[in-house]
Amino acid sequence: MSLPSLLPLFALLTSLVASVVIFSLPEKSYRLQTTVNLVAALLKMGLVAFMAWGVFHDTEYRIGFTVMPGVEFLLKADALSMIFAGLSAVLWFLTTLYAVGYLEHSPNRSRFFGFFSLCVASTMGIALAGNLFTFFLFYEMLTLSTYPLIVHRGTAQALRAGRTYIFYTLTGGAVLLLGVAWMHGLAGGLEFGQAGQLGETDPALWDSLRIVFVILIAGLGVKAALFPLHGWLPQAMVAPAPVSALLHAVAVVKAGAFGIVRVVFDLYGTEFTHELGLLEPLGWLAAFTILFGSVRALMQSDLKRRLAYSTISQISYIILGLTLLGPIGTAGGLVHLLHQGMMKITLFFCAGNYAETLGVHRIDELDGAGRRMPGTSVAFTIGAFGMIGAPPLAGFITKWTLGTGALAADMGWVIGVLLISSLLNAAYFLPIIHRLWFRKAPNAWPEEQSWGRFETKALLLWPPVVTAVITVLFGLLAAMQFSPLSWAELIASKEFWS
Amino acid sequence: MMALFPPLVLASVLLPLLFPLLALRPDWARLMTYALPLLPLPALFVAIFSTPGWELELPALLMGSVWQMDELRQLFLLLTAGLWTTAGCFAIGYMGPEHLRRFCVCWGFTLAGNLGLIMAGDIASFYSFFALMTFAAYGLVVHEGTDNSRRAGRVYITMGMLGEMAMLAGFIMVAQQAGSLLMADIPAAIVNADNQDLIVTLLVAGFGVKAGLPLLHFWLPLAHPVAPTPASAVLSGAMIKAGLLGWLLVLPLGELASPGAGSTLALFGAVAGLGAAVVGVCQRDPKAVLAYSSISQMGLMTIMTGVALSDPQRAPVLLPVIALYALHHGFAKGVLFLSTAVALPSGRWARGLVWLLIALPGLSLAGLPFTSGALAKLASKEALASEGLGFAWAGHLSMVSTAISVATLLLVLRFLYVLPAKVKTGGRPNVLWLGWSAATATSLVLFWVMPWQVDGLVKAPVWLPSGAKLWQLSWPLLTGLAIGLVAGRLVSRAPAIPQGDGVVVLELLAGSVKKGAGGVARLGTRLGSGGMAARLMLHTRAAIGLWADEQERHLRHRTVLVMVVIVLILTWL
Repeated sequence: MSLPSLLPLFALLTSLVASVVIFSLPEKSYRLQTTVNLVAALLKMGLVAFMAWGVFHDTEYRIGFTVMPGVEFLLKADALSMIFAGLSAVLWFLTTLYAVGYLEHSPNRSRFFGFFSLCVASTMGIALAGNLFTFFLFYEMLTLSTYPLIVHRGTAQALRAGRTYIFYTLTGGAVLLLGVAWMHGLAGGLEFGQAGQLGETDPALWDSLRIVFVILIAGLGVKAALFPLHGWLPQAMVAPAPVSALLHAVAVVKAGAFGIVRVVFDLYGTEFTHELGLLEPLGWLAAFTILFGSVRALMQSDLKRRLAYSTISQISYIILGLTLLGPIGTAGGLVHLLHQGMMKITLFFCAGNYAETLGVHRIDELDGAGRRMPGTSVAFTIGAFGMIGAPPLAGFITKWTLGTGALAADMGWVIGVLLISSLLNAAYFLPIIHRLWFRKAPNAWPEEQSWGRFETKALLLWPPVVTAVITVLFGLLAAMQFSPLSWAELIASKEFWS
Repeated sequence: MMALFPPLVLASVLLPLLFPLLALRPDWARLMTYALPLLPLPALFVAIFSTPGWELELPALLMGSVWQMDELRQLFLLLTAGLWTTAGCFAIGYMGPEHLRRFCVCWGFTLAGNLGLIMAGDIASFYSFFALMTFAAYGLVVHEGTDNSRRAGRVYITMGMLGEMAMLAGFIMVAQQAGSLLMADIPAAIVNADNQDLIVTLLVAGFGVKAGLPLLHFWLPLAHPVAPTPASAVLSGAMIKAGLLGWLLVLPLGELASPGAGSTLALFGAVAGLGAAVVGVCQRDPKAVLAYSSISQMGLMTIMTGVALSDPQRAPVLLPVIALYALHHGFAKGVLFLSTAVALPSGRWARGLVWLLIALPGLSLAGLPFTSGALAKLASKEALASEGLGFAWAGHLSMVSTAISVATLLLVLRFLYVLPAKVKTGGRPNVLWLGWSAATATSLVLFWVMPWQVDGLVKAPVWLPSGAKLWQLSWPLLTGLAIGLVAGRLVSRAPAIPQGDGVVVLELLAGSVKKGAGGVARLGTRLGSGGMAARLMLHTRAAIGLWADEQERHLRHRTVLVMVVIVLILTWL
């Protein structure tokens, strides 16, 4: 076994080992914990960057062993997994920094960071999983490692949210397990990444394949918050801000969406899914979820709740993109995996900053916050405009690619959905921006803190500023060679022209 | 004369785009205002000294960007950079200390968008700059923070957003058809498109919001007047032209004879030209009169665009005329807006002179001989001659355009009549005067000194009108003057039509819907159906919100249950 093929394992182990070390360290040695965390995060970014470089030059990294006959544990790095792994690695680092600032002087930090690393290790496993079985293992590990984070504060509301969460995701997991097992029965342990491999199966099996597809999507749809399986998400926003940020941008919700991408894209293959007649219904469901999430977001008065519903809507862009038969639409969906993550994490970081610094949770309390917290508010403004799809930000690139993809696939109605959704996005984000910058600030904020020379703690300020800058760059430099868009187009073209 | 100097071109957009970074230092607010007139200078330099025809490729930007310059763009760039420079100078003197940083930030971004969209040669950068301008200008509109400006801002951003969406849909369709992202490929793609009408409608409507097309104009008479005066000037002088430029760049002018679409557009133009004048003379706020006059003038340009769309042979003649007209109107309207904040001096002669200088750009709009307006009017008249136009009311075009001239004069008279003699000026009246004088001078003199290299744009005879032409120009003026004198008293007693005309109807509708909902709620209470009525009593929206929350809660319980049952059944199978 050569060193390069061990890379996926190393990438996984960085967070796993960090988690174990943090758990074993005493609560008092906080500095050491933080150092371990940050070193591991940096190491992981390096490993993922190295692998991405290799994958770009057609190297394949794979490592696996047989668990029992027919069932294999397989980790491998392909272009698609690099999207998710890269997102996870970068955001882990930033979120850790943010969490260090956020949780300063609060109890149970060791528990928090231990599970936090475990959660990130799971997302890495999900990214690198080479087949459905391996994917399932990490998917469940993610469920279990997130629960302690959601209930971290231990309030009644948090516990209730945690209960709903675990109810939903465990049930979803059970459904998924059923699908995985059935799939094994039908076609054996299929490796991801050989598009259309199911197309050669006996047409007599197609009916079963259809049912399995529905089961798999239902199982994954819980985490991806597809309507009507989204109920847990708005409740889970009681979690501490860094958790919400990670949850919405890369960990749970994204894991579900990524799973659906794997199933449609790598397992069934987009064209075969279309042949089975399943692609279009999935598209309708995604379109409905997009509009539903936006309408519900409009009704919320709590900032984090509004953001949560907005996530429901935005995640379905990814799924909608998959259902647009053809490389352009697919690229639009894939690129949104990254774009949505970057924009949404910015917004959640900012929401956390307002809550921590000013004690502001409700949207109508945000009047004039731009003057008090300019850095945070600029980041929020960029994130919000990105969500609306205003050019030249990341969200625009998504919308444009989805739109042209829809036309190429003869699904013009999708443009209507995109436009209505943009208008709704504007309707619930623009008033916030208006409040931030153009309303008079109240005489006193609900619970104002002041820290040092910046508007808030430096560790809370810089992560959203960095992600906001990345949001701008993702859009502005979309034509560059290593931009998310180019990467997504590369993957999509491999699917359709190989 | 240089062909292309990339650093300068980049600087002309980057300077105003990065300028807002100065706002990071709170104590630099005043410094920022002093920089305002400097921001458009690189662009002005490009507009005056670069030879059209250059292209600057920026392959890494967006989806591969190209910036370019041609004769049409050059004229628009000249107008935009020139007007923003003088308005920036005016702003130094005009702006008070409140929210100065915010104003400067919005100014910089709006300017960057306005300049960038003119040079953008690909759809993505054009749309990006256009959106930047739309969103940033919101800050200029609501700057004063009054109830009026908030309302104007709300209407502005709503319609602006709708416009952006129409534009985006149109762009996506046309880019898909063209298989290219270049602006230059759009007209040909429209010609070949199956859903030609839809694309044209979307693009015309999308840009029409900015250009004040009737029914899409509601925001304009609200937003242009409430903005701080220098911002009003650029809104009405330069940014309104972005919509027009959009039309000229994307519509298949000269490539497609489309009498249906063309005549419809021209009809809208005629409605704008005359309708806005009627509403405008009933206004009491001088800035509102000017805003309606802008709609009216844009109407004339819309007519010309419509004619160019319906008759491809005429398009090559019309295009430069439209650009010329835009240039003339932009400067004149800009300076008229600035005039509303100029305090007339107390000395008799000085007062008379200033008043005359205020009146001149206005009269130029109405086509006073020897002004830019005369040139524009005569050129447009020639280009609009009805022979060979393929739609029913083409014969009336010349009458309509004359009527618009008369109407313009009436609007100008109305403006001069309601213009207050005493106004509050900002902290630095000297700089304000400088800005205003520069703008006035540009408006009056530019056409005489401009080094015209644009082929076919200006015909020599127009410069010194012959006797017949002089008469052609003067009789609408005289008619207008006569009507003004006779009807002046009538108008001052006429009912004031509220600013934003149609939007008031929409707002009333929205209001009555709300009221109706409230009524239903009260009825519910009276009927005494306890909980239900109580819940309706909460604001209708809140009630719907609660209802939705509840439905979702049900859904939540049921979903889990259903899923458990399904799992059990399937495992058993």
